[in-house]
Amino acid sequence: MATAMAATAAERAVLEEEFRWLLHDEVHAVLRQLQDILKEASLRFTLPCSGTGTEGPAKQENFILGSCSTDQVKGVLTLQGDALSQADVNLKIPRNNQLLHFAFREDKQWKLQQIQDARNHVSQAIYLLANRDESYQFRTGAEVLKLMDAVMLQLTRARNRLTTPATLTLPEIAASGLTRMFAPALPSDLLVNVYINLNKLCLTVYQLHALQPNSTKNFRPAGGAVLHSPGAMFEWGSQRLEVSHVHKVECVIPWLNDALVFFTVSLQLCQQLKDKISVFSSYWSYRPF
Amino acid sequence: MRCSLQAVALWGKKAPLHSITAIMITDDQQTIVTGSQEGQLCLWNLSPELKISAKELLFGHSASVTCLAKARDFSKQPYVVSAAENGEMCVWNVTNGQRVEKAMLPYRHTAICYYHCSFRMTGEGWLLCCGEYQDVLIIDAKSLAVIHTFISSQSPDWINCLCIVHSMRIQEDSLLVVSVAGELKVWDLSSSINSIQEKQDVYEKESKFLDSLNCRAIRFCTYTERLLLVVFSKCWKVYDYCDFSLLRTEVSRSGQFFAGGEVLAAHRIIIWTEDGHSFIYQLLNSGLSKSIYPADGRVLKETIYPHLLCSTSVQENKGLSFVMGYMNERKEPFYKILFSGEVSGRITLWHIPDVPVSKFDGSPREIPITDTWTLQDNFDKHHTMSIIDHVPGAGTVVVTSSEYVSSLDKLICGCEDGTILITQALNAAKAGLLEGGSLLKDSLPHKVLKGHHQSVTSLLYPHGLSSKLDQSWLLSGDQDSRVILWNIFTEEVLHKFFLEAGPVTSLLMSPENFRLRSDQVICCVCSDHSVALLHLEGKRCLLHARKHLFPVRMIKWHPVENFLIVGCADDSAYIWEIETGTLERHETGERARIILNCCDDSQPLKPEFALPVTSETHKHKSVEQRPSSSCQFGPIPCPGLQVESSWKVADVKPFSGPFNVLPVKTRWSDIGFHILLFDLENLVELLLPTPVCDVDPSNSFYGSEILRRAKSTVEKKTLTLKRNKTASGSLSAEAQAKPVSENPAQGENTAKSLGDNEGIKRQKKIKNSKKMHPKPSRKVDANVTIDTAKLFLSCFLPWGVDKEFDNLCIKHLDILKLQGSVSLGLASNEDHFSLMLPGWDLCNAEMKKDYSKVNLFSKKVLDLSNKYTSTLPNQVGMPRGLENNCDSSQESNTLNTIVYLLNRLFAVNKLVNTPLELACGIDRSFKMESVHNKARIPGNEISNISSFYGYLRNGKSESHIPEADISLLKLISCWRDQSVQVTEAIQAVLLAEVQQHMKTLSKRVGNSQPVSMTEDVHCEMRQILQETEWTREEVELHCTTDTLPLQTPVSPVKHDSDSNSAKFQDTEDMPDRCVLEESESPGKPRHHSWIAKVCSCKLC
Repeated sequence: MATAMAATAAERAVLEEEFRWLLHDEVHAVLRQLQDILKEASLRFTLPCSGTGTEGPAKQENFILGSCSTDQVKGVLTLQGDALSQADVNLKIPRNNQLLHFAFREDKQWKLQQIQDARNHVSQAIYLLANRDESYQFRTGAEVLKLMDAVMLQLTRARNRLTTPATLTLPEIAASGLTRMFAPALPSDLLVNVYINLNKLCLTVYQLHALQPNSTKNFRPAGGAVLHSPGAMFEWGSQRLEVSHVHKVECVIPWLNDALVFFTVSLQLCQQLKDKISVFSSYWSYRPF
Repeated sequence: MRCSLQAVALWGKKAPLHSITAIMITDDQQTIVTGSQEGQLCLWNLSPELKISAKELLFGHSASVTCLAKARDFSKQPYVVSAAENGEMCVWNVTNGQRVEKAMLPYRHTAICYYHCSFRMTGEGWLLCCGEYQDVLIIDAKSLAVIHTFISSQSPDWINCLCIVHSMRIQEDSLLVVSVAGELKVWDLSSSINSIQEKQDVYEKESKFLDSLNCRAIRFCTYTERLLLVVFSKCWKVYDYCDFSLLRTEVSRSGQFFAGGEVLAAHRIIIWTEDGHSFIYQLLNSGLSKSIYPADGRVLKETIYPHLLCSTSVQENKGLSFVMGYMNERKEPFYKILFSGEVSGRITLWHIPDVPVSKFDGSPREIPITDTWTLQDNFDKHHTMSIIDHVPGAGTVVVTSSEYVSSLDKLICGCEDGTILITQALNAAKAGLLEGGSLLKDSLPHKVLKGHHQSVTSLLYPHGLSSKLDQSWLLSGDQDSRVILWNIFTEEVLHKFFLEAGPVTSLLMSPENFRLRSDQVICCVCSDHSVALLHLEGKRCLLHARKHLFPVRMIKWHPVENFLIVGCADDSAYIWEIETGTLERHETGERARIILNCCDDSQPLKPEFALPVTSETHKHKSVEQRPSSSCQFGPIPCPGLQVESSWKVADVKPFSGPFNVLPVKTRWSDIGFHILLFDLENLVELLLPTPVCDVDPSNSFYGSEILRRAKSTVEKKTLTLKRNKTASGSLSAEAQAKPVSENPAQGENTAKSLGDNEGIKRQKKIKNSKKMHPKPSRKVDANVTIDTAKLFLSCFLPWGVDKEFDNLCIKHLDILKLQGSVSLGLASNEDHFSLMLPGWDLCNAEMKKDYSKVNLFSKKVLDLSNKYTSTLPNQVGMPRGLENNCDSSQESNTLNTIVYLLNRLFAVNKLVNTPLELACGIDRSFKMESVHNKARIPGNEISNISSFYGYLRNGKSESHIPEADISLLKLISCWRDQSVQVTEAIQAVLLAEVQQHMKTLSKRVGNSQPVSMTEDVHCEMRQILQETEWTREEVELHCTTDTLPLQTPVSPVKHDSDSNSAKFQDTEDMPDRCVLEESESPGKPRHHSWIAKVCSCKLC
């Protein structure tokens, strides 16, 4: 690499010209591209209504959740935007060949916070980009870097909301409003949790049994986890409970998959733009303002 | 137990970057508080004439500050809360810059509102917070714990902004919020306090869809109690608060984004934009609605229309984003102020007239800027120096990286022009700070290493990290991706590595447990996101990993399988096989996180060239995931937080010595400033190898006294002599003499030879009284310790209080006067750090006229100092330093005095920081106290406190503690309760002690009568006691006359002056106690954890 010290005046002029082009043309091209991608991503989240009307309730989508290993649990969840509007869960208990069925109460919806947060982060990123449209002239590289950092922050958070489900303790699951959503109330020996993991909608059902007070088992409450394993113990009310069976079923939500791809692509675009700006910083130390 | 390090900042010519993200003015209109993207808070002084001047920089957040709000009723406690991007919250006392409380919550707040309802609420009130989470959180203003939430029953979503409505008419406080989706919600506030305290669910009372997105502000007109102003980014709307009917919508011009607004008076509002403009409107009722009823029988539809009265704008709009605010003061001095903070760090103020009017022709009037200021203005106005300013030939160079080698007291600075300067840090600091220091300037030993052609971006001194490596090695990396291995003693280039990968952003060393064929490996992170491994012994590049798409955030070593694990900014992990140089695995998402969390010896770094990812971010990664594990919101994604801060404290050595230089990186490519850190505890320990408390109390007083004296004399001698030796040797000479010149044998020799010249008599005496036992080899060179102590005293003594006194200090303490005020700072081990800015001493209005005083921390210091002097026990024994001065040379006498002073200061420092319950013991008898101490705290503490007693007791024949000493202790513990700052206390005690000492000394010089050492000590003691008693009186007299004129110029109007504040602190005594108690963590003091906050490496 030619050193800046040795660079001739002509070379410097060329570099400067190139940097100016980068700031005035290339940056805006990238920003436009980013905006297009993110708009596309946000469309996935808002899910334009089934009809042609601009306003109205979001389209409902049904997802059948299953697992390849067992068919003990089957769930049909209805997603309306960022909320679960209906849920039907069938649980087959092999011991007594009993078939349990639960459904959401008609009047209730369960907000999937992960989707809502991801959507909000994306719209914040879009807002940041919209503030710097074509008419805006960037004057320093630092300005671009700052914008990119802010956008990347939002995008990373959006992506991480989807890729990292909350780690909950069993009492937290038991206390969550989700357990109170079902019409025939959930029996006390069942816990249900719904979350997003990457592009999948996941439903976990925990079967519990009470630990005898005089049990010789060493009681140790389990910490937080996305998915608790059988044997995890916790205290709920005055009772000590242990997870006896765990059933996890899931289903891919295609548009979440798209959104994740969009996030990754736009993050890479942002980073590439930052790298381009940084290259020039090696040639002269620019003041940030 | 809190422990604090005293610090002095050597700011360079350029001010640190402070990209303002949040701004507020305190209720008393005396302080502006700004929060920055870099994570620091800045306190600015606002004078009654509305002039701004920066005062203090507070380090406590490791990520960008998102919002600021007051956290108490400001007239009672001047507390402000700040929240950061990563979920940290801090409560600060903005009058003294101390952090009161800190919490880490898994929530990112964007707005905070303080709410207190005195007659229904116990405690300090609530912080109502909203941000990137659903609904409104209620956080306790005192403990920062989440109390409860206000829940929405309808479409819960993130809340953008909130405001509290106090309506006199309906006698109810309400909380108004607008969600990101544009939904207005109202909660009853005052009537739901009980339900909140009982943790019942509180749902919104009303909600209404406003049909606009990106709400920026919501404000209620308290004058009419009717209008509601809601500002969205593309329009602002006025609603009728009674039925939420829309009265007016005003859409922005194209390219203009509204950022906020406020109600100025009845029917008068101000709206401001993101680019720093503001507009004042008069809202006029349209005549139509008043006179004509709608024909179709619908209810009266009232409308209003705005009339533009005035506008403001910034001089040069560079399209940067602004944060603005408006404050309307209802008390003196009645200013209505519009203020803005820019990303560039500039603050602008407009004084809004009480009745804004348009021009005669009806066109809007432009309100002029009242004042505008930046940090840089402070730096330009007040002379600032950087640490290498006085190194010959280094006058103008910009330092781009630096490293302090504490074992050699060498500061290595890599410069923009490719040279590397090596100088002695202490001398460089002295040359810059002290008045006589200019003498040092010419002879300041330094070395210049030339080998780089471009700016030096990173430095590494491997021996500092692992003692097994050669002491002469230094590694430097430059912008041109060249890494050079130097021998710093011979100034040779040992090897050059060419990496061809862009600027070298950081140099790291593999941990002790990772070895490749028994050698440790150097890891270079380059700005093209590649990582190179260098083998120094073999002088070759082992591996160059170039596949990373995102900046490298973390390096981990897998010793067993010889893997290098690289964590990137996008949360992916790359596993490289070192032997073969192949990419083993590439993982993303959850699996990558598991891999990166598996080994604990991570070396987080700040590799990105442009915006160095601070190590802080990493530090927080681990911290953050813990609390979130049990929370519903899941782990906060930390990667990508690189906006957070561009401050980077270069890797800090394990903090071992009493003195350290901490380079702090502010701008993107250059080291901004250096901080000198003094560890009083360590300093005292080094100067005093035989603490008094070690003396067996069962020994007769006579015996122990002799023993102690002999020991200290021996000690002193060697110290002094060694100083002579090294002072004469220049740096290069020392280098040739072999790096390990500090070996005891050599020192002993020189000591002997020089000692003969100095005074045979004394030498003999030492031999007679005590053996020449080989002096204990110590880690830190003795002369460095003495010089450090002197520099410390110079920096902390308030100069110019009395000219004669200054001269006495210079003469008898052998210290030099300061050139000007230094920027004092305080590093507490609770990872918070504050630094005064250049010109801080002129912020206090009452000190402005008095230029003769230099470095006086606050007016309060004089007051405290007087109190201390008057509390000094009348029959106090001669301090140790004075005892010896009859029979020993002035030099050792000076040394003794310094040791004595430092010991006092250290004790004061400890006492002021001591937890309350411990200090309570002071009220009881000494015996009780010592028992108390032993029960509560491990060794160190006991020796500290008892050494304090030891010194007080010293020279007295009675073994019990006189009342006066207890009262002294009481006084100091009283200061703590009055939240006197440590620095203030130290200055006050230093001033009082030195004053007293000097008085005694000058007295003594007059009628000095040499007392031979062999004389009976009891006899000597009696004499001294008499003398002191006599001088004491004189001193007291003198002091009162001395200080009287000083107090007179205090203007009685200023309500912030000493007497008043003291009174107020008395009343606030109880709350303060509680705060103290809670903030103490029991058990072992965590040392210097704040360093960990600013520094990544596991080393510190």
